[in-house]
Amino acid sequence: MFNQTFGGNMRHILKIATAVIVGLFFLAAGAHAENVVRIGTEGAYPPFNYLDKDGNLQGFDIEIAEALCEAADMQCTFVTQSWDGMIPALLARKYDAIIASMSITEERKQRVDFTEKYYQTPARFVKHKDRDIEISEEGLRGKTVGVQRATVSANFINDNFSDIMTIRSYATQEEANMDIASGRLDLLFADAVVLQNGFLETDPGSDYEFTGPSYTDEKWFGEGIGIALRKGEDDLRKAFNEAIITIRENSTYMEINDKYFDFDVYGDE
Amino acid sequence: MPLIDLQGYGPLLLQGAKLTIYVGTCSMVLAIVLGLIGVLGQLSKSPVVRFLVNTYTTVVRGIPELVLILLVYYGVPTLIQDVSAALGSPVYVALDPFISGTATIGFIYGAFSTEVFRGAYLAVPKGQLEAARACGMSSALTFRRITLPQMMRYALPGLGNVWMVLIKATALISVIQLPELMRNADIAARNTRLPFTFFFAASLIYLAITIVSNIVQQWAEKRANRGVRGA
Repeated sequence: MFNQTFGGNMRHILKIATAVIVGLFFLAAGAHAENVVRIGTEGAYPPFNYLDKDGNLQGFDIEIAEALCEAADMQCTFVTQSWDGMIPALLARKYDAIIASMSITEERKQRVDFTEKYYQTPARFVKHKDRDIEISEEGLRGKTVGVQRATVSANFINDNFSDIMTIRSYATQEEANMDIASGRLDLLFADAVVLQNGFLETDPGSDYEFTGPSYTDEKWFGEGIGIALRKGEDDLRKAFNEAIITIRENSTYMEINDKYFDFDVYGDE
Repeated sequence: MPLIDLQGYGPLLLQGAKLTIYVGTCSMVLAIVLGLIGVLGQLSKSPVVRFLVNTYTTVVRGIPELVLILLVYYGVPTLIQDVSAALGSPVYVALDPFISGTATIGFIYGAFSTEVFRGAYLAVPKGQLEAARACGMSSALTFRRITLPQMMRYALPGLGNVWMVLIKATALISVIQLPELMRNADIAARNTRLPFTFFFAASLIYLAITIVSNIVQQWAEKRANRGVRGA
């Protein structure tokens, strides 16, 4: 008897619980404005996108996103999302576009569409300000360059300069930075933003500077950083693509660029 | 700053801690409710109900929390969208991160507390229930006056344990847009490039939460045992 009564009670409770859960579900489903573009970003990748002490989003990605939305005459809001769930959340419609320094790769293209790149950090050489090194086959002959192992930059150097330069590989970029500061290397070669933030803007790197061209060859460095969208959202993709061209052509892009970098982060046209 | 310099990110960590405690508490309440429903289901005479509850506790205890969280938050809406789009009338589901996080964690730890309650129920001497019946109590009254208070004595240590595991499992919901303690510590760590400072600070906060929980648990156990000599 005891158990039977509770079996009955339980069914009752279950019914109520189900009703509540289904109710919440639809309540949540209803609250959704249509013509606002929601932009997903990570908030933990300075200087591109990060949350400051007060929890506000800052950075190059954020300012570019705002400029793109203005150029395309769209209303945009930001949603922060940890990197692990970035693409699943896009597919589950938690937001409509990812502007979070996401590299355009073949693997990702199978699940999402990308706009054209909105930046592509080049790889560059760094040398001591007082040294005179010309970036040419003659100028580089016999010099020693430091790279971080297993990076696209290291592959590029190994494939193109291994017969004229001595290449030293390091486990981390910091080790390579320390070795050029102690005079064991003539040059560093790595992603320009990594070099600028991790070395040139620090005390040990203050006597060093970029030299030579920006390398962005697609064979080694990929297609750059784009905006990821759900597959088939061609109107939104077109709007973003046109906006990228617009802010490149007027001065908006370079104004934002110059706040963060002392070179054009867009890379080759 | 004292011992650790948080570079101004202290308030962000505290906000995260608040959300962690909030999510933890709501999930725990849900877990206890589900646990009580579950134990009643396990004791049910209906084999169908028993089978359902056993399936629930086995499956949920057997799947990693992170997998379930991702399934509920991303998988279910995507599935509904794809199925409804295939049927010709797309439905878009916007699950609130707080609700789905709390519901998922509560659902998972409901399975654990079901097992805790089952052990506790079995520890209550059968004679007690028979005596209550003999006094003419209805089964609802028996449960409220006789079974539940005695069950609680046995269940509290186990529930305390469930709570400790649960509060740390809330770190997993950082994958679903909830800025709880772990997510905010990660943001601060990466923006200041001081990972050890912030993960150490976060671990101290988790430790503080569990120490306070321990004190509350000891008080609750004392209270539940107040009718028992020498306990």
